[in-house]
Amino acid sequence: MATVPLQAAFRGDFVTLLVLVDDEDTMDVVAQKVAHHVINRRLPPESLCMRVRYNQQVLSPDQTVAQAGILPMSFVEVFYDAGVRSHAGMDRGS
Amino acid sequence: MPRLERSQWYDLCRDMNWSFKYVTEAEVFPEALSHSHGIPPADWWTWDEPYKITYREYVQNQTRKEADVYSVRSALARAKFFENLDPGWKAAIVAHYGAIAMPEYLATLGEARMGRFGRAAAWRNMALFGTLDEIRHAQIQFSFSHALLNKEPRLDWAHKAFHTNQWGAIALRHLFDDMLTANDAVSMAIQLTFVIETGFTNLQFLGLAADAMETGDVEFSTLISSIQTDEARHAQQGEPTLRLLLEHGNKAEAQRLIDVMFWRGWRVFALLTGAAMDYYTPLPHRRSSFKEFMLEWIIKQFNDQLRDVGLERPWYWELFLQELDWLHHALHLGTWFERRTVWWNPDAGVSFAEREWLEAKYPGWHDRFGTFWQTIAENVRNGDVAHTHQETLFVVCNLCQIPMCSPTIGVPPQLVTYNGRVYTFCSDPCRWIFEQNPARYAGHLSIVDGFLAGDIQPPNVAGVLAYMGLPPSEQGTDAMNCAWAYEQPQAAAASAA
Repeated sequence: MATVPLQAAFRGDFVTLLVLVDDEDTMDVVAQKVAHHVINRRLPPESLCMRVRYNQQVLSPDQTVAQAGILPMSFVEVFYDAGVRSHAGMDRGS
Repeated sequence: MPRLERSQWYDLCRDMNWSFKYVTEAEVFPEALSHSHGIPPADWWTWDEPYKITYREYVQNQTRKEADVYSVRSALARAKFFENLDPGWKAAIVAHYGAIAMPEYLATLGEARMGRFGRAAAWRNMALFGTLDEIRHAQIQFSFSHALLNKEPRLDWAHKAFHTNQWGAIALRHLFDDMLTANDAVSMAIQLTFVIETGFTNLQFLGLAADAMETGDVEFSTLISSIQTDEARHAQQGEPTLRLLLEHGNKAEAQRLIDVMFWRGWRVFALLTGAAMDYYTPLPHRRSSFKEFMLEWIIKQFNDQLRDVGLERPWYWELFLQELDWLHHALHLGTWFERRTVWWNPDAGVSFAEREWLEAKYPGWHDRFGTFWQTIAENVRNGDVAHTHQETLFVVCNLCQIPMCSPTIGVPPQLVTYNGRVYTFCSDPCRWIFEQNPARYAGHLSIVDGFLAGDIQPPNVAGVLAYMGLPPSEQGTDAMNCAWAYEQPQAAAASAA
C-alpha cells in the first residue's frame, strides 16, 4: 500500500486537481476519488459509469494503479462514459 | 554668476561618465548585475531619456503630490467612506494592497540596481528618481492600508502577504524575484519598465483610478493616480535601453526578454485585474469588460510600442488572445472556490444581471462557466456549504505558480523532466520560459511540491491554511454572504425592469 499523488481532471471541469490515491486502488476507486472533488461541487451527477483515461488509454475499471503503471504526479482524466449507465444510480462522487 | 537655462547645463551635469584607470570596467559593472551585452561603454553613454528632471524639481513635485494625497485622506477619514464602499470593491482593494504594496518595495531594489549598475550616468540618474518613487509607492500604500486596519484587519496583508506561503503570494514572489530581485540592470529596464510598467501597470493604474472614482472610492483613486504619474516618468528607462540593444545586434535577446515577461505579466494580470474588473467592480460602475480594456488599451499600446522599436509580437500571441476569453473567468472561479485561502472576500459577481452582462461581453460564458455557478448556487440554497469549498489543492504550474486551469480539460499538462525531477507547466509559454534557463527556476518548490515534500502538516485543509498563514479570522468568505445565490429569476427581472 503506497500513496500515489496524481494530477487529475474531470472532463467538463475547469481545473487540474491534486488527488491522492492508493497504488492498490482500482480505476473505479480512482474515478470516485477524483469525482469527489468535482461532482456536486461544480458539475451535476449523471447516471453513467465513470472511466479513467491515462496516457491516451481508457483503463479497465478493475485495473489497479500499480497494474496500470501510473507513476506519482501522472495526469489522469476521469469522465462519464456516455455508453454505460451506472447500476448504482447516479455517481455522486462523494 | 550667470543663471543658465536648464537645457544649457543639464546634460553636462548629469552625464558623469568616465573611463576607469584604477579598476576594470568589469569590476565596476559586474556582468551578473549589469549585463553590458558587449556594448562598449562609450556607446552606453549615448543613452538618453525625455524627462530630464532636476532633483530640485523632483522634490518639489513629489512634495506637492504627497500633500494632495494626504489631504484627501484626511478629508475622507471623517466621512466613513470605507464603511460605505461596495463589498465587491473592498475585495478589489484588499486584494490589491496585499498583492502590490510589497512589490513596490521590491521595485525599489530593482530601481536601485539600475541606479548603481546601469551603464550610463543618464540612466543611473533616472533610476535614482525611480528608486525614490518606489520607496514612496511602497510607503504610501502601507500607510493608506494600515490607516484602515480598524475597519478591515486583513489590510495588514499589505505587509504580511509576501512573508507567507499563501499560494497567490508565492506566484507573485516568483514573478517579482524573476523580474526584480534576481535580475540584471539591462534585463530589468526592459522587463520591468518597458513591458510591465509601460505595457501593463501604467495603463492599468489609469483605469483603476477611474474605476475607483466611479465607485466612490476617492481615496484609492487619488492614491493610484499619484503613483501613476511617477510610473509614467520612470518607465521611460526601458525604451532607450532597448534601442541600444537593437542598435548593437541584440534583437533576439531583446525579443526574448520581452516575450518572457509579457507572458508572466499577463498571467498575474488575468488573476488579479481580470477578477477585479469583471466580478468585483459593482455592475453599474463597470465602464468596460476586462477583455475590452485589454484590447483597447493594453494590446493596442503594446503593439504600438513593439512596432516603434522594430520588434515583433511575442510568438505565443494567438494563444494569448484566446486566453482573453476564458483565463480570468477560470481563475476567478478557482479563487472563489478556494476563498478560504485568500486574504480578501471574493465577490462571486454572478447575480442574474451580472451573468447577463458576462454573457453579453463574453458570448458563450454561460455554457462554459455559468453552469458551474448554477451548481454552486444550488448547494448554497440547500445549505450544503461543504460542497462550495475545495478539499484538495489545485495543481499549480511550476513556472507561473498559478492554478492549472484549462479551456479543454483532458489535455494533459506539459511535463518536463530536469535533473531527475518532473515539472508541470500550464502552457507552452510557461514551459518555454522554464526551458530558456532551467537552472534559474528548477530549485523552486510550488505549493503542491511543498505539500508532497511533507512541508504542510497535518496534510489536510487545516494544515494547508496554517501553512499559508491564514487563521480563521483572516480567511476569505463570499463578499455578499452568497446573497446572489438566493436571487429569484422573477425578482431579478422585475428589478432590472
